[in-house]
Amino acid sequence: MTTESDARDELIDLAADFYDQFAAGDIPEMTLPTRTKSNIEYDEESGVWTYGDRTSTRSANSVRGARKLLKAAYTIEFLAGQLDDDRSSTLRELYYLSESWDNDEAQFNSQDESNDLVEDLEIVTGVTREDFHMRPEESGAKVMGPLQIREQTNRGDREIHCQLDVGQGGYQIPNNPDTIEFLDNDAEFVLCVETGGMRDRLVENGFDEAHDALVVHLGGQPARATRRLTKRFRDELDLPVVVFTDGDPWSYRIYGSVAYGSIKSAHLSKYLATPEAKFIGIQPEDIVEYDLPSDPLSDSDVNALESELEDPRFQTDYWEEQIELQLDIGKKSEQQSLASRGLDFVTDTYLPERLGEMGVL
Amino acid sequence: MVYRMTSFQSTIGDEEGIAEELAEGQREISIAEFFEKNKHMLGFDSGARGLVTAVKEAVDNALDATEEAGVPPDIYIEIEEVGDYYRLVIEDNGPGITKEQLPKVFGKLLYGSRFHKREQNRGQQGIGISAAVLYSQLTSGQPAKITSRPKGQSRAQYFELIIDTDTNEPEIQADEETTWDRPHGTRIELEMEANMRARQQLHDYVKHTAVVNPHARIELREPGLDEPLKFERATDELPAETKEIRPHPHGVELGSLIKMLEATESYSVSGFLQEEFTRVGKKTADGVIDNFRDIYYGRELSWSPPRTHDDRDVASAVADAVANKGKDATTAFAEGVAETVSNNDRLTRSELAEIVDNTAETVEGDTSKTFGGTVRENAVDAAWRAVTGLGAEEDAAADPGESDVGDADETEESPLVPDVYALVDEATSTRKDDAAVQAMAEALARRFENLDGDAFRITRDDLDRLVADAASFVAEQRDATFGETARENVVEAFWSRARTVPDDPPKVKSIAGDRDAAADLLEAMRTTDILAPPTDCLAPITAELVEAGLRKEYDADFYAAATRDADVHGGDPFIVEAGIAYGGSIPSEGSVELLRFANRVPLVYQRGACATTDVIKQIGWRNYGLDQPGGSGMPNGPAVISIHVASTNVPFTSESKDALANVPEIEDEIELAVREAARELKSFLNKRRSMQQRREKQDVLGRILPEMADKVSEVTGRSRPDIDGALARIMNNVSVEREVNGETVTLVVENHSDVNEALEITDIVSAEPTDLSDGTVVDMDGEWFVQWKPEVPSGDERELTYAVDGNPEFEVSVGGVETEKLTVNA
Repeated sequence: MTTESDARDELIDLAADFYDQFAAGDIPEMTLPTRTKSNIEYDEESGVWTYGDRTSTRSANSVRGARKLLKAAYTIEFLAGQLDDDRSSTLRELYYLSESWDNDEAQFNSQDESNDLVEDLEIVTGVTREDFHMRPEESGAKVMGPLQIREQTNRGDREIHCQLDVGQGGYQIPNNPDTIEFLDNDAEFVLCVETGGMRDRLVENGFDEAHDALVVHLGGQPARATRRLTKRFRDELDLPVVVFTDGDPWSYRIYGSVAYGSIKSAHLSKYLATPEAKFIGIQPEDIVEYDLPSDPLSDSDVNALESELEDPRFQTDYWEEQIELQLDIGKKSEQQSLASRGLDFVTDTYLPERLGEMGVL
Repeated sequence: MVYRMTSFQSTIGDEEGIAEELAEGQREISIAEFFEKNKHMLGFDSGARGLVTAVKEAVDNALDATEEAGVPPDIYIEIEEVGDYYRLVIEDNGPGITKEQLPKVFGKLLYGSRFHKREQNRGQQGIGISAAVLYSQLTSGQPAKITSRPKGQSRAQYFELIIDTDTNEPEIQADEETTWDRPHGTRIELEMEANMRARQQLHDYVKHTAVVNPHARIELREPGLDEPLKFERATDELPAETKEIRPHPHGVELGSLIKMLEATESYSVSGFLQEEFTRVGKKTADGVIDNFRDIYYGRELSWSPPRTHDDRDVASAVADAVANKGKDATTAFAEGVAETVSNNDRLTRSELAEIVDNTAETVEGDTSKTFGGTVRENAVDAAWRAVTGLGAEEDAAADPGESDVGDADETEESPLVPDVYALVDEATSTRKDDAAVQAMAEALARRFENLDGDAFRITRDDLDRLVADAASFVAEQRDATFGETARENVVEAFWSRARTVPDDPPKVKSIAGDRDAAADLLEAMRTTDILAPPTDCLAPITAELVEAGLRKEYDADFYAAATRDADVHGGDPFIVEAGIAYGGSIPSEGSVELLRFANRVPLVYQRGACATTDVIKQIGWRNYGLDQPGGSGMPNGPAVISIHVASTNVPFTSESKDALANVPEIEDEIELAVREAARELKSFLNKRRSMQQRREKQDVLGRILPEMADKVSEVTGRSRPDIDGALARIMNNVSVEREVNGETVTLVVENHSDVNEALEITDIVSAEPTDLSDGTVVDMDGEWFVQWKPEVPSGDERELTYAVDGNPEFEVSVGGVETEKLTVNA
């Protein structure tokens, strides 16, 4: 990982590139990998999906491009200043802060725009957002399980046991999980759960205690910090990782971003993705086998499934079989539909059976 | 039937005009009553409209009069309130008018029909100034007051004229000498019941008249104007003088053709055609007559004469038919006919008759025997039987009852079949099986035999029907299909080998009395290729002057005009011109203004009923850069579209002559003319739009990029970079940059645009430059003008250099490139 001064130098270098382009009478531009599904490639070495060779150019050739680069110049100045002062800020703060810039043209029109720009800068400089001292608004994600850690906080180091020292809610993952040091653990595997309701059910039923599981709450599309921490569990503690989501196309994408990396942050896949992560369910097969209550697939579900069939990340025998089965039965089910067999069914029957099949238990 | 007349002449024509026909049934009632009944058609249905119509008639007359005299028109219109009435005064600088002409011009209502006079003339438009005179007299009781001063006369003449409404005869009540400050011209004063509610139409009329007559000077005074409206002339060029032409064969209607046939002095069709129509000489007349024969009489089908191995022998047949002429003469005659016949591939009965006649003449000369009409006829009959094979067997047949015809499956084959088979086989595709072709040949042969007479005369239409009938018989009986194409080919095979008959066409008088024959003649005229009518009878305004007229009256950003080539409708040549003015001070709200002109006269009323409006509405204006709600209808925006139709006979929807009728040929030309002008508008608007976008882009980038440069220099801690090169490149611009290196001055011209640029660069230097690269230098009183005209290809650059001492001042100016595309840093 880069250090703070490296991060600062990379940013200044980028500004210097623009300067040199101007001085040479050239049109300033910034080249980025094309961030689309068709331009992600499987990296044999790391087992994750990263951007391919196709690139797009943000050029000052057009009014749009020129505005983007002007904003980039202002953002570079801001980030470099923040690193100099050893301060940090959130993505949302950056968006509001741009209002104070002396130039109307440089101000962001939406937070998406500032978020995208920060991602662009990450890609061009090779420095992560965290090293720019930029954080997201909230992570929300939590861990519960037999693990002792030490976290460096602004207020000094804290040693925390993620089962014994925390309440029912679990241990809150910090924005930069690289500030965590793993001290000790009795964990057998990591179970990432999509919904808060299911996480609470597992904790209430004592699943983490019963099976020595680290239960990680994903909370929809997982934040970077959650994905990074999950990767560290796998890489540093050598724990198997399984992902438990609803049985619909959107949830498969949540699994995909944990295991393979997301299209938007494919430049960070090596740092965030856990290619060894396995999918527990709900599998389309489970809907049939356990006769789960289901909803019919909507048109957008069908489109999403079809688009996943084209997604290079899902082109494995397992996923093709499951997705085609789902298109065939035309149904989807939520995690909590397992409750139709009783509140303990998921912890007593479903998960142990699935984990057994997968060779985790 | 046609003659040339000046517009101040108003003679009774021998062809009756529509207005005259209209008046015909009304002779019993007084002219006043007639006027009252028809005033809506004459344009005098209200006081408001009556005034506009009166102005229109008077101004049209004035323009025609001055133009004919070769004088650029200078026309003065004044409208005054006089008690309960309005007084209208129109003055022109024309040739004046004599006392003898007066009644004809101003007096005789409805007699001066100019309809169907094949010359472009304003007077076509109206019922004439006489109607205005009558209107004024009927409403105010006042006579028309006319002052005239012919050129070269020191005094003017003053007349008062009224129309006796019982007799429709004009009466001159006053005739006295007077003085008038115009050196020549005519002044008409009419008092009438009127109002100014149609002021807008009046102004439009006068303004549009000025647009379409850029050679005229017009002044209008009326009570609502504080100052007179003056329209100055934009050109001294008078419209080309027009010539009279006869009608064109492609343009007459059946009714007019019959009238012409009845009226002509000519006896033969050929003479009639050449005499009465334009573009018809002997050759064209022959062409029309041949086509007429084909339609009227039909053609004769031709047949192959027997070959030597056939048992049909022309020579012996002819010999047998001749009696009492002696052996030598008979043999010479028979063999002569047979030889000539055998020299022909195919032959019709008429051709055979000609051969027989020729041979008879020759033999008569050689032998002193006479071959009279009967002998010749017998010989033709006999030889024809030998050629066709028909009739010969009939004579020999044991039972004449066998020769019945029909589509029964007969065993005996018609002798025509082999000949027919050969043509059908040739005309149909190779995929047709032989039995089908044979069946078709038999069916056709039977039907040919059934034709009246033995000459096989048939018209093309009948041939079409005959072939179709045979084909459907074959389809029914033999299950063989002859499709439309196959049938057409078969018809064509026979028709192209058939011959036009030598019969003389009927005489003119009999065609005149036979509507069907006249229709055939008309059809023949239409199907014959004939040169388009001459167009020197038309006086288009010309594209330049259409544009000049618009320029004169509309302050716009853009003007375009187009004049089409002459075309013909109903035998009358016409020319369509269109002009467009766009932007500037033309109001941008609401729909565009449409100016309609016929023979240089503005059309003011009934815009919605006019063919021009229909054409404008169905053009997709969005394509040309104008707003058009719903994609059809009148376009919106700051534009004026003017359309001028010049013709020897402008077709109107009604007698009031306010709207052009929907004649497809004219509509097509209107559309083409408008589209031609609109294409220029489109490219102007596109260019303007792209220049505007370029300007906007330049504005934004010109602001953003320096700020970005400031920011990156701030962040990197370096001095501000020079960004002009980047800017020029971004704008696809041409950049001109100065570098001074000691004594050497270099102007670097870089062309970043995607087209080649030809520039004109002038550098004004305060010291004398030397060692120029190309270019020229001119000493202007201590300042030196260095000039280059470099051509710089797209993506390329040029260096222009010179040497200069000291520390001179420079001032560069660059031309040849739009300023939007230029970045000068010198």
